[in-house]
This record gives sequence, C-alpha cells and structure tokens, in this order.
Amino acid sequence: MADPFLSIQHVEKSFGATKVVHDFNLDVEAGEFVSFLGPSGCGKTTVLRMVAGFEEPSAGHILVGGKDITRLRPNQRNIGMVFQAYALFPNLTVAQNIGFGLRVAGASRADIDKRVAEMLALISLPQMADRYPYQLSGGQQQRIALARALAPKPKLLLLDEPLSALDAKVRVSLREEIRSIQKELGITTIFVTHDQEEALSISDRIAVMYGGKAEQVGAPFEIYNRPATRFVANFVGTLNVLEGTVTDASAGTVRVASQDVALKGKLDGSRTGDTLSLALRPEAIALGARPGHDSKLAGEIADVHFLGSVIRVRVGVGGKQISLDTFNNSSTPPPVVGDKTEISFSSGDVLVLH
Amino acid sequence: MSFAWLGVMPFLLFALLFLILPTMKIVVGSFQTNEGGFTLANIANLFQPSILSAYWISIRISLASALLGCGFGFLVAWAFVLGGLPGWIRSPLLTFSGVASNFAGVPLAFAFLATFGRLGLVTLILRDWFGINIYGLGFNLLSFGGLTLTYLFFQIPLAILIITPALDGMRREWREAAAILGASGFQYWRIVAFPILWPSLLGTFALLFANSFGAVATAYALTGSSLSIVPILLFAQIRGDVLQDPHLGYALAFGMIVVTGIANGIYIWLRARSERWIK
Amino acid sequence: MRTNRIWSWLFVALAIAYFALPLIGTFEFSLKMRRAAYSLDAYAVVLGDPRFQQTFMYSVLMALATIAVGVLLVVPTAYWVRLKLPHWRPFMEFMTLLPLVIPPIVIVFGYIRLYNTSSWLPLTGSAMGTNVLLMFGYVVLALPYMYRAVDTGLRAIDVATLTEAAQSLGAGWVTILARVILPNVAVAVLSGAFLTFAIVIGEFVMAALLSRPAFGPYMQLLGANRAYEPAALAVIAFLITWGCMALIQVVSRFAPKPPEQLH
Repeated sequence: MADPFLSIQHVEKSFGATKVVHDFNLDVEAGEFVSFLGPSGCGKTTVLRMVAGFEEPSAGHILVGGKDITRLRPNQRNIGMVFQAYALFPNLTVAQNIGFGLRVAGASRADIDKRVAEMLALISLPQMADRYPYQLSGGQQQRIALARALAPKPKLLLLDEPLSALDAKVRVSLREEIRSIQKELGITTIFVTHDQEEALSISDRIAVMYGGKAEQVGAPFEIYNRPATRFVANFVGTLNVLEGTVTDASAGTVRVASQDVALKGKLDGSRTGDTLSLALRPEAIALGARPGHDSKLAGEIADVHFLGSVIRVRVGVGGKQISLDTFNNSSTPPPVVGDKTEISFSSGDVLVLH
Repeated sequence: MSFAWLGVMPFLLFALLFLILPTMKIVVGSFQTNEGGFTLANIANLFQPSILSAYWISIRISLASALLGCGFGFLVAWAFVLGGLPGWIRSPLLTFSGVASNFAGVPLAFAFLATFGRLGLVTLILRDWFGINIYGLGFNLLSFGGLTLTYLFFQIPLAILIITPALDGMRREWREAAAILGASGFQYWRIVAFPILWPSLLGTFALLFANSFGAVATAYALTGSSLSIVPILLFAQIRGDVLQDPHLGYALAFGMIVVTGIANGIYIWLRARSERWIK
Repeated sequence: MRTNRIWSWLFVALAIAYFALPLIGTFEFSLKMRRAAYSLDAYAVVLGDPRFQQTFMYSVLMALATIAVGVLLVVPTAYWVRLKLPHWRPFMEFMTLLPLVIPPIVIVFGYIRLYNTSSWLPLTGSAMGTNVLLMFGYVVLALPYMYRAVDTGLRAIDVATLTEAAQSLGAGWVTILARVILPNVAVAVLSGAFLTFAIVIGEFVMAALLSRPAFGPYMQLLGANRAYEPAALAVIAFLITWGCMALIQVVSRFAPKPPEQLH
C-alpha cells in the first residue's frame, strides 16, 4: 500500500489534567474526503486544530506527505482551513480576503488578481469581488471563506463545522458544492461535523469519534450498516433497540417481548440465557409481511407521523416502541393508531449489540 | 404632528443654558469689541509670541501624553486581553484603571511632587542609592517632560478603559485564519488587526488629547503659574491677573475650542474613511 | 505564544511600577512630617483642620445635589429617547459627548460672562445662585458618564414592553419612571452616581473660578503653602476615588443581564 498522504499517529492531547484525545490514529489517502463525526466534546475539533497547528499534541506525530509537521507553526504548514463562523476579515473586501494568502506569501499583484478571479468563478460569485463581508449572506460568506482557504493551493483542506451556522436549505446546497469543488480539485480534505446526515452524504470515509477516541473508521455505507460499537450504532442514524434473551443459542432463537424471534447465524458466541440488544434501522422494518422478511413481531400502532414522501410509524411491541418508515402511497390510507398489526424484518438486517 | 420631542425639552433647555449658550458666548465674544462691534483684532492678538508658545507647548504636551497614553494603554490592554496572562489579573487592572483615570487634578500633582519632586521618593532613591541626580541631568517636573509624565498617570488608564472593549472584539478565528493562510504575526497585525482597531485607537487618541489639553488643576497645582500653558494662561486671565484685555480671554478660550474641535474633526474624518467596512 | 506571555508580563510589570511608585512615594512622604520617624501627624493636621471639614462637607453636598439633579435630568431623557425618539440617539450622543470636547475651563468662563450680576439671569450675584450654577456645571461634567451608564442600563431591559405592560395596568408616566424604569436601571444609575461623586469631590477649576469654598481649591491652597499635608491629602483623595470605584464594582454585580436571545 502506498504511503498515506496525511498520517495522524498516536496523537494525544491533554488540557491540564483532562485528556481530551486518546491515542488517535488515522491515515488519509491523497484526494480523500474524510469526516470526523461525533457529539460536541468528543475531541474532533481538537484533532483538527492539532493538524492545523493551533494546538500542540501532548504526544504523537502528524505527517503530511511523509514529512513530520507536528512542531511546525500554522503559517508554515500550507494547509487551508474554513471556520464555523466564517472568520472573514471584516476590513477587507471579498477579493482582498481571497487574495490574503497569496499577498502574505509575496505574490505579484497580477498573480493575485488572476487567482482571485479563478476562485470567484469556482464558487460562482464573480460579481462579489468588491463587497465587504457584512454585505454578504452567511452562505456567501462561507463560500468566500472556502475560496480564501483554497486560493494559496494548500496541500490539505480542513473544514471545521463549516455548515452549522447556516440555515437548512443553504446547508444542503453548500455541502454539495463543497464536495464537487473538492472532487474537481482533488484536494485531501478533513471535515468536522456533528451532523450524521452531513457526514454520510459527503464523505469517502467517516471517523466516528466519542470520548476522545475514534470508535470506528469506515465508508459511510459500512458505518451505517455495520456499526462496530453501540455508540456508533446509536449516533449514526435512527435505531430501534430491543432487549432480548437467548432461548436457544444453537437454533438462533431470541425471546423479545414474550415473542420468539429467529435470528439464524447472528448469535455466534452467545449462549442460551444471555441477554442481548437487537438493533434495527427504521427502513429495515415493514408493516405486515414482505418477501424476504423472515422474522416478525406482533404489536399495536402507537403513533403515525406523515412526513411527506415517508410515513414514520411507531409500533408498540411489549413495553417498547419501534419506529419504522413506509413510503407514502396515495392509494393506501396511512395506518390508524390503536390498530393491531404485525411488523416484519429480515434477520440479516438485525444488528446484535453485545 | 408628533409631540414626542416635548419629552426631551427639559434636557435640551438644560444643555442650551449650561453648555451651548456659554460656549456660544465665548465664540461670539472673541469676535467682538468692548462696545459689541465685530472685530478680528482679538483673534489677531493671539498671534503674539507668548500666547503662541503657550499654545504650542500645550499642544505638544497633549500630543505627547495622548500618543504615549494610547501606546502604553494599548500595550497593557493587549497584554491582559490577548497576551495570555491569567484571567484573574484583568478585573483588578480594570478597576485600578477606573480609579487612576479619575485620579486627576490637584492630588495627582501632590503625588508626583512627593515622588519625582526635588525631595521625592524616586528622586532621593536614585540620588542616594544609584548616585543619579535626575535634576542634575536636566529633569524638571515643572516642564514639558514632567507634565507629560504626570498626565500619563490618568491618560494610560483612560486609554486602557477605552481600548479593552475593542480588543475584546478581536475574534480568535481572525488570527487563526491569518496564520493558517501563511501570515506571520506581524502581517496579521498590519493587514487585519490594526486596521480593525484603528478607529478605536483614533477615538481614544482624540479623547486623550482633549482630556489633557483642557486639564488645568494638575498643571496649576504642580507649577502654579510658572509653566505657561494655555489653560493656565486662561485661568490666570479669568482671575484677572495677567492680560489687560478681557476679549483676549474670549479669544484664548475660543482657540482652545478650535484646537480640540480640530482634533475631533480629524478623528471623525479619519474614522469615516477607515470604516467603509462597517454598516 | 510563550514569547507573547513574557512580553505581556513585562508590560504589566512596567505599568504596575509606574502606577505604584507615585502612590508609594506619596504615602511615604505623607508619613515624614515628624523628623526622623514615620508618623501620621500630617493626617492629624489635615483631618483636624476646620477648613478641611468645611470644604469637604461642601463638596460632598455638592456631589449629592449633582447626582440628584443629574439622575432627574438624565433618566427620563434617556428613557424617552429610547422609547419615542430612537432617531434622536446620534444627536443625544453628540450632545452628551460635548463636555469631553469643550474644556471645563471654557464652559465656566462662559458661565461667568453669561450669568454675571449685570446679565438677564444674575446667578453669580448671590452665594446660593453661584452654588446652583456650580452644581449645574458639575451636572454638565458628569453628563457623558451619567448618560452613557443609564443608556447602557436601558439597553439591557426591554423598555417598550415594560412601558406597555405598566400602561395596561393603568400606570401613569411618573409611576412608570419611578416604579418600573428606575429600579431596573438602578445599578447603572448608581455606577454613574459614584463616578460623579469621584469627579465632583476633587474638582478644581470650576469651583476656583466661581470662588466657591470647595475641596479642590482647598487642596490647591494647602499645596501651595505646606509640604507634607498635601501628600496626606493626596492619599485621602486617592482612597475616596478608590472607594467610589469599588462601590461601582460591588453594585455592578446586581446589574440585570441582557435578555437571552430566543432561537
């Protein structure tokens, strides 16, 4: 395997007596888009700030292109960064903001102007060159901030929750724009977010972080469908968790809410009498029978939310409520609260959390 | 027709009687003869060497104490806002600044006489312990340098009080964004931080200038009438002991308004020019 | 960042030295009245001087009157401008900053010429009239601080809603001001009041030119004729200023916080 472009090796960080990052390791390939996903306080921003050079690791090394940059100052690293609150310089025009990196590097006026025009075209805001930041919307400011970060052609792009200050519609369109620009330039990118949908939609790989550690690193599909830990399963996507007791380990039956469920091949390492948690994504569950669904549970409709294209239904099973999604169908009326029903799922979709 | 403005009538009446009219009286009086006719003679009389030199030394002291006050005030404010000092130091420093910026006038003169006067603590310590006679070296508390040194005692704290909120408004991300874009600390200050702070610094400077230009009590208690600065000249004139011509007093006071007015005019003009980036 | 901290400590240490030396020097000097031994003699002389007591009391009363008139003038005005005349705010700001630009000596010179015995309002003709004039002068000097403090205090509360609520309960303007607005800006008013007190107590030029027996001219006179007593006076004056600032700090803890932004 080729050497990774960015290599974070055994990095730790303590503020005083509290350790906020524990033995963090990650290799990122050139051109890859990796997200750090986790709740606030999980250490994701601290790792990013160590890559940028704003914090010094208490231990470990950070390599870019095989070169150890752990002790370099931020202004020697040739890294681009976009901040949560835009952080545009308020006293400079858009063009001056974008040209800032080249200006401090001593580029000629002509080179700066040319690059600024390129960047403005890239973010599709060519007419904004002479505006001041206060004259721009949040989404525009963040695109300028992206252009400013990219203008000096950095080796690496760091995005620190760049979308969380924006409203929902802008957030979606800008994240698509960020991804397409990133692909166009082929720049290695780290994206910090607490929004799992954002991370899933935009990334080549995701590092889910919790308590200063990387819980799981993998492609979005893998993270979502095969979460390695209970935390990842809970944090990424909606999850129904049912407690069950193994009634026959060899036959693969589990008793859930006084009903037996067959889970063939899912109970390796469990013994009869063990209690386990069974997790299911809402979209893996159907109301009534469906071809391929080999397990079922009886319950009662507890709640119906019409969300447009999707109807989210809650079904009471034993003392628990299970969420499931069905597509809207104009010819079928939605279920009625209080109706007895049966839910079905494929035992292959069940995540067994020990 | 709204009568809401009636609510501020008491204030306007007060301001008119005790701020605007007295000032107008001075302005008008400086263009009047004793009989009430129009004349430029009073203004022309200002251009005699003794009065010009009084203005000149006043302006120099005010410039020096405002410039040094801004500079040192800025450095101290920077030290405890951005310089990485422990947080507990901020509150006592600001409180002390509030005290010292109001500790002007007569007692301040006493304090500096007791410290830097011919028998003052620092003077004696330097003489007895280090063999340095500062008065032998040409220092004199009753001079341009001495007065500037004394004025700094209220100018620096005043500058600290005004600059601190401006420095608080400097966002950490600006510094970080500049650094990650390759800027050195100096480049960050030159291109970003200083231009952002410039209006506040100008405002501080204008205020400090007016503050020391109009100060009478400290200088009078320190020097009596021996140092001829404009406010002291005017003070003596009002008391009736120097100039024979009352209308020259008007002109003298009018000149003071003109100087502080120009200082503030320059401030407003520069600020408008430098704040295009603010709504 | 570490070099930053070294510089920071250096600046702060230099500042502390510059500000501490005159205070230490003054204090030390004030103790030297008796030959060859430190004593509090200078303080005893000063405090025992009936002129000290008289002038000090005069200035204290003057300060209290200034505060009372200042509050009566500033609070309703600032409230009214916030409520009904928001577009007047730049003008009010300009007016209240003028006393920082026009030197006090010029203002008092204007008073002397405008309100002398032969004028239409001969305030300087009687002692009482001159006292009132001096007090108004002090209100002008305190105006920038007082107005700013109160205006900042009003910004922290929702003036319009409070007023409407009080009106809907049948309150008149005086009641609204005295029972609703004033208590809410009490901290700001007190801060302004203590600052005014500190300014008025030591004020020299207005009192001297209007020939009133105030504390400032007394200090100046003593300084011209004595050696050690002025240092003791300076220490006392410094303690009074410090006391005023400490009181501002104390009352500021009770300031209402600006309303939380709702998301």
